Amino acid sequence: MNMPENDQSLSRVLSAWRMAPRRNPRFRTAVWTRIGSAARPASWPGFVRAHAAVLAGALALALVAGALVGREEAQARVAAERAAIADAYVQSLDARTLRMP
Amino acid sequence: MKNFLLTLVVLLAVGASSYGIFYAMNDLPAVRRAAHEGDAMAWLRAEFQLDDAQFAAIQKLHDDYGTVCSGHCAAIMAAKRRHAPAAEVAVLEQFCTRSMMKHFRRVAALMPPGQGARYLAIVLPRVTAYDHTGAPNVQVRP
Repeated sequence: MNMPENDQSLSRVLSAWRMAPRRNPRFRTAVWTRIGSAARPASWPGFVRAHAAVLAGALALALVAGALVGREEAQARVAAERAAIADAYVQSLDARTLRMP
Repeated sequence: MKNFLLTLVVLLAVGASSYGIFYAMNDLPAVRRAAHEGDAMAWLRAEFQLDDAQFAAIQKLHDDYGTVCSGHCAAIMAAKRRHAPAAEVAVLEQFCTRSMMKHFRRVAALMPPGQGARYLAIVLPRVTAYDHTGAPNVQVRP
């Protein structure tokens, strides 16, 4: 077991290690560009992409709700008017409802 | 916020379009127009998809029945005027009802297959549900 000796050699290696990163003259500009784009509101297509699942659900809901309400309202309106004209039609042929002049 | 509002507008537009399309698909404008105008013959034509020959035959049947109906009406009214016994009026009304049902069945027989049964399902319950109130206000003759 020579752990202390290994630690010392690792420390030596680390202290001798020097980073020599290549200079990027556009680094600062790139950072500010990213900060700026994060602060700016996303475009609508971007917003849609970011909330695709929720919007797909809302879209489906709007379609189905519109379809159901439209169908029900049309059918109810036709049924009411059909009932009214059918009543009047039968009465027009019903001698029991006719009035003598 | 702007994106949210825009999305809301799009969703509302989609819902409204869906409503409009399904409303139009389930609407029967010809039936509603006839009902608005109180034109029973136009209603029969639109509702039961009568062709010209069927329409003409049914119209003739109605015209012929108009005479019969007036006779029944006169008999019932005469009985009521002379304060005939209720039983006598009831017999006249029963006769009128039977005659009317026979007429409706003859009309149904002139309709396209399937429509006659639908016609009878609409009119016959109304004959039996008569409540002795209200005067006719519909033009059977165009």
